[in-house]
Amino acid sequence: MTFKIVVCLKQVPDTNDIKWTENNTIQREGLDSIINPYDIGALYFAKEFKRTISERNIDVEITAVTMGPNQSEEILRKAISFGCDRAYLLCDKKFSGSDTLATAYTLSQFIKIYVPDFKLILCGQQAIDGDTAQTPSSMAEKLSIAQITNVVELFEANEVYSVWEKDTGVKKETIKSGYPLLVAAAITPEPLSPRINDYIRSQNAIIPVLNAQDINANLSCIGFSGSPTIVKKAFRHSSDRNVALYENLPPTEAASLIIDEINKCRNKNDI
Amino acid sequence: MTSNILIYIEINDSKIETVSKEIISKIRSSFNDIKLCGAVIADENTISNVQEELSKLPLDCVYIINDNIFDEFQVCLYSKALYDLIKEVKPDIFLMGATPDGRELAPRTASKLEIGLTADCTGLDIDNDGKLLATRPTYGGKLMATITSKTKPGFATIRPHSFKMMNVPNGNPMIEYKSYDISGIACLTEILNCFQKTVSEDWSCAEIIISGGLGLKTKENFQRIYKLADLINAKPAASRAAVELGWAPASIQVGQTGKSVSPKLYIAFGISGAMQHLVGISSSDKIIAVNTDRNAPIMKACDIAIVADAQNVLESLISNLS
Repeated sequence: MTFKIVVCLKQVPDTNDIKWTENNTIQREGLDSIINPYDIGALYFAKEFKRTISERNIDVEITAVTMGPNQSEEILRKAISFGCDRAYLLCDKKFSGSDTLATAYTLSQFIKIYVPDFKLILCGQQAIDGDTAQTPSSMAEKLSIAQITNVVELFEANEVYSVWEKDTGVKKETIKSGYPLLVAAAITPEPLSPRINDYIRSQNAIIPVLNAQDINANLSCIGFSGSPTIVKKAFRHSSDRNVALYENLPPTEAASLIIDEINKCRNKNDI
Repeated sequence: MTSNILIYIEINDSKIETVSKEIISKIRSSFNDIKLCGAVIADENTISNVQEELSKLPLDCVYIINDNIFDEFQVCLYSKALYDLIKEVKPDIFLMGATPDGRELAPRTASKLEIGLTADCTGLDIDNDGKLLATRPTYGGKLMATITSKTKPGFATIRPHSFKMMNVPNGNPMIEYKSYDISGIACLTEILNCFQKTVSEDWSCAEIIISGGLGLKTKENFQRIYKLADLINAKPAASRAAVELGWAPASIQVGQTGKSVSPKLYIAFGISGAMQHLVGISSSDKIIAVNTDRNAPIMKACDIAIVADAQNVLESLISNLS
């Protein structure tokens, strides 16, 4: 029996390269799109997992999926060049405006219909444009499966269970789970280097484009109408502090000024 | 109109998480006409360890869901219990700390309830209709967004140290025990071992933070941040740029997701102040910035802006204090 893995990807703007318009909105034209760096981590684990359990003579099939505009096909070809066996693009005007809840629903609908016998879902821990880290957990709930988030390492994999390292920054845990399982990768490795065969395959692959009907989506659960959250306003952070500006202070005087403040702060605590 | 707010009170190692208390203090000190309750999920032993502290929280009531099955955090079980509680008590607003567990529990619970969730907020408000307005940094911290939800309850996770702990008098909440059917939940994992990291970089108790950035020019100069922090018993910190150059470990980076600080005094040496950083330090009592560029963003977001070479001032401070 084939062991089926689904890798969920997101195309994101390169947030290191954001330019602002005069009205404090993000200038979208010319903004580079990249695979969300954490999703590279998910692809890396998919490859590692496949390598590990292939040694046990088990067939593995990795399906990559993304929801996005037509241009997102580009990241799916990259995913194939990194070793995924096939890819699907979920693309429909009706999907636009999806928040994390609607996204989790849409992806889980796809998985239920196209890879119903999946064993493992891999996602990035979070996307660098939103940083919410909600979609993986939300999706695991929609599929009623176990989840391990903040994963930094794969320790052991076989057809019955796998063992992963979770690192939240506060604690490290070694976690074992059977299947089906969702794993959210918290690593951002360098983009993987494709093998020549995979690269050729990626350029010739036919990537099916699925719409809302294809995944049997309930229209009230997708896109704007399926997204409960509303962005009321967006603005740049501003500070309401009254700044005392000191220019042309020699370093020694600047140091005295700072020491005074340190002492003030300490004295306040003594009282 | 009275707004009913429910706060998930997270307990780790038989202690109430600071962020849970920060949220309670924020609500109590900012809003009137609120019915504020807490929800606790834990095993019997843990409950008896925190019972006394719970009974003094400035809350109107505390719902305790206790069962020995909750002795370790299993997101499937905890989210089912919260789902049942929320269905029963129907709060208008539901809040939880954006801790590692909270960042897993909240989306799973929201997904079960089919409601909207705003993650990792650094600000919160309630509008005239009693609706939650949650503000969070987005786009890698380059933009702030205020988010509300069409669904009820309004639901958000709050980033630790976003709110100062205010002096709120103790309360005498009514304690109510709840029990829900959690049998038949199969999506469990097995924790083989757990390693608690040291808390040497715990920002929460730092009174003074000495932070360095790109303006220090070299890794060697950055070492002076540690030196000064050591001399005055402060905590060292770094900007993202300094971390990316390998001058400091990521564990002391201020401003990335989840790393906000709220010291009494924050002193930034050679940090220009990317928005993510400014958001991360915004609840500090006082901010001093030392930078050669008087137009750097941080120079407009601090209390004392010193236009000077950070390196020289650091050196002078160290020789003065040694």
